[in-house]
This record gives sequence, structure tokens and C-alpha cells, in this order.
Amino acid sequence: MSSFKRKTTSNQISNPIGTRVIPGPVSTFITSTGVPSLDDILGGGLPLTCSLLILAPDVHTAYGELIQKYFIAQGLACGQTVCVLDDNAKEFVSECMWIPSHATQTTGTTAPEDEEDETAKSHDAKIKIAWRYEQMKQFQTTVSSTSQSSDDFCKVFDLTCRIPSHVLQSGQLLSLNITTHTNESSTRRILKSMKDILESEEVNSYKPIRICIPALGCPQWGDIEPEDLCYFLQTLLSMIRNYPQTCLSLSLAPHLCTDSWGGPGWTQKLGWLSDACVSLSAFTANPALSAMFPSHHGFVQIHSLPAPYTLLPPSDKFSTLRGLSSSGENNLAFKCMRKRLIFETLHLDLEGGVGERRTTPSATTMAMESETHAHHHPHTPGAVGPSGSEGSAKVEVQLEDVRENVAKVMIQEASVSQATSSSAFKKAKPKKRVAFKSDRPDLYDF
Amino acid sequence: MRQFSEFTTMFSLSELPSPGDVVIVTDQLLSPADFVIHKTISSHFKDVGKAKCLFLSVSESLARLKAIAAKSNVNLAQHLQSGSFAFVDVGSYIEPPIDRAHSSHQTLLRPLFDLTSERLSEWSDEGATPLVVLDNISALEWIGFPVSDILRFLRALSALCRKSNVALLIRHHVATPAEPDDITRLLYQLGTYHLEVLPLSTGRSGSVSGQIALHPGPGISQPVQRPIPRSSAVQYRLTDTSVVFFERGTGSTVL
Repeated sequence: MSSFKRKTTSNQISNPIGTRVIPGPVSTFITSTGVPSLDDILGGGLPLTCSLLILAPDVHTAYGELIQKYFIAQGLACGQTVCVLDDNAKEFVSECMWIPSHATQTTGTTAPEDEEDETAKSHDAKIKIAWRYEQMKQFQTTVSSTSQSSDDFCKVFDLTCRIPSHVLQSGQLLSLNITTHTNESSTRRILKSMKDILESEEVNSYKPIRICIPALGCPQWGDIEPEDLCYFLQTLLSMIRNYPQTCLSLSLAPHLCTDSWGGPGWTQKLGWLSDACVSLSAFTANPALSAMFPSHHGFVQIHSLPAPYTLLPPSDKFSTLRGLSSSGENNLAFKCMRKRLIFETLHLDLEGGVGERRTTPSATTMAMESETHAHHHPHTPGAVGPSGSEGSAKVEVQLEDVRENVAKVMIQEASVSQATSSSAFKKAKPKKRVAFKSDRPDLYDF
Repeated sequence: MRQFSEFTTMFSLSELPSPGDVVIVTDQLLSPADFVIHKTISSHFKDVGKAKCLFLSVSESLARLKAIAAKSNVNLAQHLQSGSFAFVDVGSYIEPPIDRAHSSHQTLLRPLFDLTSERLSEWSDEGATPLVVLDNISALEWIGFPVSDILRFLRALSALCRKSNVALLIRHHVATPAEPDDITRLLYQLGTYHLEVLPLSTGRSGSVSGQIALHPGPGISQPVQRPIPRSSAVQYRLTDTSVVFFERGTGSTVL
């Protein structure tokens, strides 16, 4: 008989449902928020006993609530208990996204890509790049969801799918009403009720409890002062630390997310009063930003990150998106596509932040030159192209109105073959574009 | 490497709160001063004979304290059992007033002060060397305690510690660095030293976590610790459970 024995894992303690362990001085269980790229920012996921506060100060959008829906959907999908603090909790949960049916049938498949991605990929495939760069890995702005979708940890959700009714009735969902008819303040009453719920649910230590507050401070919470809110967050933070199977995610009502409501330093205070605090500042209020970053919907700002048992947040070491392991922190942005929400690194496009690739000369150089620029020098046959072997082209660029920065390119051709002329015209034809001008917000420029 | 060893001899967190000193630690959200608190407690238990520590926690968790101290070979659970370490969860001990507009004349933080004074008198009878850590005072203001109460409590606490020759460390989060609030102003006057933990103005970095400056307080004529002005602030890098200090321009990415 061999003296070598296979190491058995039978006596290892299994993780709570839907969690992973991250190595550290004390093993920490992390659970997914439902958005793989947000998990990456948090250092793999949200640790149990920690709170995640999402600030979405834009009143026209509901990205804060969208994150909460992901958080709820992920909790329900991996079998955890979810407690939603809202008067219309059932309605809110019924609007959550769900796993697409084809993904549930074939486990381990790749994540459903959006059409935008697919078209971008096919477009990229057509571009011929220099041979020396061909073997290089394609530049990625976000983390892939496929690597994490192998188990229950992070399911792949589709925003076009809705949560099935049988999941809502499975008993995993708890709800707590906010509105009260007593004189007691809503925050203090909720804190008491929360404690009762946590004490009753704590019996099953292998089933984590997710607490979700979709819109803290919205009208159903009554009149709320900054001190009340701070007390609520502070007490909640110390409460969930006493229950090792609990994690909390909450969004503030949009008007409470800015310093104008809570006074100077308000966002700093919120950052201190939560383990992880992330701002999602959507571009909707500022058309100049959406023109500058057409492929994103808002900036992501990280205020604080969870570090339950260490000095250094695990995110600083493990996050690919933040990129602190190699250099300074990356700028981050988010975009919400038809099927999913993605957090990714923000980069300036070509020519310093202009979203479209301009083939026409830039407006500034044209303004510096004369109003009409005639191009008269004779072309050698080789310069025109391989097919334009006979004849030369006369190109004239005329500017109708320099102040409006609209250029029309006129190409006059003389004795060039038909094939050459058609291809040349195609190249010079200005691409149709739709732009939203910040200086004239009432006009669309086609 | 020479520079690093020189620096460790001229500045050490373990020497900072000597008995009778009031050390004010201020930090900002991008550069939390958790490491100062943890390092001070660990070195107090390691270096001082008959060490005792009273930790008044508003936002720090005991589990995290234990986990980080364990990496510095300090068994806080054992110290808790033996009574040499006392952890007070301030949130469960006192509550902010419900009706802030009509606050009573009774000072709300009095029970916390009484508890501290009681514990310190017990320890002084034993001939121990106590350290009192208050982490942090700013959250008390944010959750609704009146500023006048907090100011009174701070004055009383620092006077108590000075009288009984006890080291006191008070942490304060600065939410508005450009405009110091009332509590910050008072703390500047009270402190023997002011340890300022600052973020980098260029944002977060993987190789430098932040920088620290050390200012002597107004009441100290000949500071024992060498002051570190902001202009030549010392940089630090956090690891999971410890901190590495280095002078500007001597970080691993620079050299």
C-alpha cells in the first residue's frame, strides 16, 4: 500500500450559499452584487458583515435602484434570504432582472453579449492591423463575466428578462414597511425591526441574509434630517457587524446624495459611515459630458472600499478595473446597455475626448487657414492609387461658413477613370452623424 | 535602504503617545488613519510593562481590531479576558437625543466620561500604564450629539488623562479640509501633538497610500518628537496588516 494519501476535503467547512472566500489574515466570505464589474471594484465582491452605499445624485435616472435590483436578483438566484425595506417591496422586486432562459438550460456558456458588442467585434475583425500587433491581446475596458459565472457566485442577468413569479413566492423574500402611523421616527423604528429580523433569521448560518434599501430617504421615510440619516447608517453598520451572515446594500434618494442637502463634506461623511461607498454620476444633467463620452452613461467615483479584517482594502490588490497594483487608479465610468450594466475604465478617445473619428480636417486648423483652399498641384499617377494610373485628380475644398464649423467637401474630378472616381467619392463623403450640441441644446445637428 | 533605516529611528508610531500626552489624529476619507490606531495599540501592549488600554469605539469593530493585532503578535482576546484591554461600543452605551431642538441641560456624554474615569482610577491603583483611544469623535457630531456637549466631553477627557498621566489618542475625521469645524479647532488647542494623515493630492496610488505630518501642539514648548511639516511629509504604504514609511522619492517605484 502506498504511503501517499490524497488530501481529502471532506472535513473542510463549506462556504455559505453564494459566497466565496478571499484569503487574508481572517478568511472573509464575499458575495456578489450581481454586477461582475462592480464586484471587481469591491475586490471580488461585497464581504459579509459589510455595507455598500450607492450614491446616484442624478434625479432623472435611477441607476442606484438598478444596482439594488441586481443585488436582490443575485441574492434570490443563489438561494440567499433577501430582506427589502420598502413600502412597495413586492412591486420593486417583481421589476428585477433575471437570468435568460437559454443561459439556465446550458450552464457554463458565455455571457450574452449585447448587439453593440457584437457589432463592435465584427467591425474590429474587418480592420486590418499591423502584423506586429496582431498577436497582442485586445484592449479591454472591463472584466469579463464569464470567468465568474461558473458557479452560483455571480449569475449572468439580462435586463430584458423579468424575475419569474415562482421565485417571488419561494419564501426567500422578506419585506419591511417604512411608513408608520406612530410618532416614532421611521429610522429608529426600522432599526428596531431590523434587529428583530436579524435575530430570528440568524439561526441558519449557511444562508446569508441580504438587506436591501432601494431608496433611503425617499418620501415614505418621512421628514429626515442629515443627523437622522447618519445615526441610521452608523447604527446599521455596527448592527450588521454583529451578524456574520449579513450584508447590506442601500441607495440614497437622489436629492440626498449631494453636499447641497447634507452640508459641506456630506459625501465624505457618507463614505465614513459605510464600508463601501460608490457614486454613480450620470451624464443626463450635462449634455456636454454625454457628447464628450458618448459610449458611457456616467462617471463612477469610489469614496470608500470594504476592508473588514485588514488595513488595506482587498480591492487595492485584486481589482483589475481600478488597476492600483500597477500604477495610479484608473478613471471609471459605467454604461447601461440593453441587456446589462457595465462598469469599465474610462479613456479619452482619439483626438482628446471626441467620440467620433474625424476624417475631415479639424475646425481649428481650417479657421487658421484661408476660407477657400484650392488644391492645384499635379498628381503623379502613383500618388492617386494603383487603379488611377491615368489622369490626375483636382480636389477643391470649400468652406461655406467657418463660424458654424460646417465644411463641405467638393471634389472635382477630371479625366479619372469611373472606378477610381466612385471610390474616391465614397471616401470623401461626410459620414452622417447625430450630435447634441451643448451650446445650442434645442437643436439637433444631423 | 540606508534612508529607510535612518527614518525608522527618527520616527516611530510606537513612541508617539507617551504618558500624559494627548495625540490628535486627523484623517480624510482617501487616507484613513486606521493604521495609526492599530499600530499604537499593538506597540503599547508589546513595549510597555503592565500595559492597559481602554478603547472607546464609535465606528471600529472589535473583530477587525483583533484580526490586525493578531498579525502583530498581540492577542487581544486574551487581553480582553484578563481585563487589560477594555472595548467600549459607544453606540450601544449612549444615544443621540431624539429631539435635538429641545435638548436638556443634562450632558449626554457624561456616562462615557464617568466610565472612563472609573476605569482609569481602577488601573492607576494597580500601577498600570494605561492608554485611552477614542475612535472617533467626528461621528458623534454627525449622528446628532450637540457640538457643545462634545467640546465639553473632549476638554474633560483630556484634562482627566493629563491629571492621571495617561496617554490619550483621539481620532477625528476631517470632512471639510478647507474649513476646519469647531471640534477641529478645539482639538488643535488640546493636543500635545497633531498627527495629520493626508491623502496624495494626485489621488489614490498603488505604491503610496498617503502621507503623514506631525505638528506639536500649542501647549508644548520643547517637543520630544521631531515635527514633520506638511512640506516634507512622510509617505507610507499600507500592507494587509502593517505600514511601511519612507521619505518622498524613496518609494519602491521611484528607486
